[in-house]
Amino acid sequence: MDRAFKARLERRFGEQLTGPIRQRHDETEIRIGPGDVTQVITALHDEPEFGFEFLADLAGVDTGDVMQVVYHLWSPTTPDWLRVIADGLPREDPRVPSVTFMWKGAEWMEREAYDMFGITFEGNRDLRRIYLPPDYTSFPLRKDFYLADDAARSPGAGVRPMERTHTPRETPATANVRRGGA
Amino acid sequence: MTATTPRPNTRPHDHGRDESFAGTPDDPRVQLDRDLGVFEPVPPYPPRTERESEFYSLRDGEMFLNMGPQHPSTHGVLRVVLKLDGEKVVDVDPVLGYLHRGVEKLCENADYHQAICYLDPLEYVSSLFCEWPGVMAFEKLLDVEVPRRAEYIRVLSAELNRVASHALFLGWMALDLGGLTPILWSFIERDEIVDMLAALTGQRMLFNYFRIGGVNGDLNHEFMSRLGDWMSKATEQIEAGNTLLNENEIFVRRMRDLGTIDSKTALRMAMTGPNLRATGVPFDVRRAHPYSVYPELDFDIPTRAEGDCLARYLLRMDEIKQSLRIIDQCLHQMPDGPVIAKLPRLLRPRPGRAYAGIEGPRGQYAAYVVSDGTDQPFRMRIHDPSFIHLQAVGVMVPGHLVADTMAVMASLDPIMGGVDK
Repeated sequence: MDRAFKARLERRFGEQLTGPIRQRHDETEIRIGPGDVTQVITALHDEPEFGFEFLADLAGVDTGDVMQVVYHLWSPTTPDWLRVIADGLPREDPRVPSVTFMWKGAEWMEREAYDMFGITFEGNRDLRRIYLPPDYTSFPLRKDFYLADDAARSPGAGVRPMERTHTPRETPATANVRRGGA
Repeated sequence: MTATTPRPNTRPHDHGRDESFAGTPDDPRVQLDRDLGVFEPVPPYPPRTERESEFYSLRDGEMFLNMGPQHPSTHGVLRVVLKLDGEKVVDVDPVLGYLHRGVEKLCENADYHQAICYLDPLEYVSSLFCEWPGVMAFEKLLDVEVPRRAEYIRVLSAELNRVASHALFLGWMALDLGGLTPILWSFIERDEIVDMLAALTGQRMLFNYFRIGGVNGDLNHEFMSRLGDWMSKATEQIEAGNTLLNENEIFVRRMRDLGTIDSKTALRMAMTGPNLRATGVPFDVRRAHPYSVYPELDFDIPTRAEGDCLARYLLRMDEIKQSLRIIDQCLHQMPDGPVIAKLPRLLRPRPGRAYAGIEGPRGQYAAYVVSDGTDQPFRMRIHDPSFIHLQAVGVMVPGHLVADTMAVMASLDPIMGGVDK
């Protein structure tokens, strides 16, 4: 945990942060709104105080309520991984500016996030499905996409409560079980 | 007679067969006589993105060539659409997904212990490096301290796996350039290591050896004796394999100045590992963001400035030497003690997020895990370097010849299992 780095981030991005800076193990986490992505990423990359030249990872996350896009960055100026979370994308139409202007290599990672979550990256020149066939219509890593053969959600489940921890309350499979008095 | 009508029943072994299938789609003769279908490189729908319409429109003298998904030199099932001008490549459009299994979704539907076994088959030539980031991220979520002996065993086995992976790379690369001998040599090299790891882990390819909090089993006698045998001759063996290619004029002249990329572009393409270090950037996660017991070990980070295929090849050969150094130190510094931390069978980490990145033979392998307090990962993101490096083919190949496409691709060493997840 790099406390000085946290102070530097707070000083520079004070108003743009939408939540407290969290630090745990060797990671520092900041949250920003989707509108500030271009500005914050450019500042982190270009300003010698930060110097985050290296994009370690780009991932989409569906929290169930909102969508997030998570960037992991590395810089020689701090021993921590920096995690930038573009938070609060509406699930109906998640949109976020693309970072391909900075890292062209993000193009495929954004395509993957689009393929899996349906997040639209504005400015990505090649935003089409990458793994799934082009006529596929759903987004499999969203939390409302259930595995068809997932034993945990079949009406017969309940033998091992361990397997049912994720069962959403409103799925038809569990509704049957509950109606039966289970 | 058109191509789709079944041939008359003329083969002797067909007489007396069940004829109830005749004419239906299940009729094996119909299957045989059916037109096998030509892979159209141009998709049967209008372009959806700017880049797609740019790629799938031809200028004078240009043509499309479809390569794969069953092409032998695409290292698995990758389809690449090449836009050619004569024999010169103008642009490439890799089409992925032929090996997609949805590993991330599977992990999100398994508990923390079960998720590890889904990580192995990602990159089947360097399985231990696929397990490691996942296990490390889980340990961060759970605040587990890994015993030091377990960390040393991890480093030892992973570095052996790195040598095996680089040895195989050498063979594959020569094979894609048309040389058959090196792959036979490198498989001998790899088999010795793989047998050694099989003695340790019980499996030859998908080891499933790392556990949350340590490793599955302690070092055993067979592993140690095999390792001792191999260490005594490893350096000579690898040198012998190197001279086969390093001093081969055809190989060297073919590889030099092929698929050159400069350090700035490599960083923009988010490249890591040997492919980035071959452009002169000394970025190695083992030193840049130390993990495990690497800070206690003494090794160098070789770099090269050229950024071409030859540099990438030579750099991997240098890395093998460094790995041997690390293995040697691990054996001398190996502490005694337990090899796994005591943990309950059912793990429920506190809600939180963890990211772990490690340096594998191809670059940075990473895992990003979100926990919601239950026994299954809420989100499991797997970052694979092969995926990133395959993207860079589009930057390196234009301007070269068709045959060089395979050479450039081989020099980046992508594994399709990891690319397609």
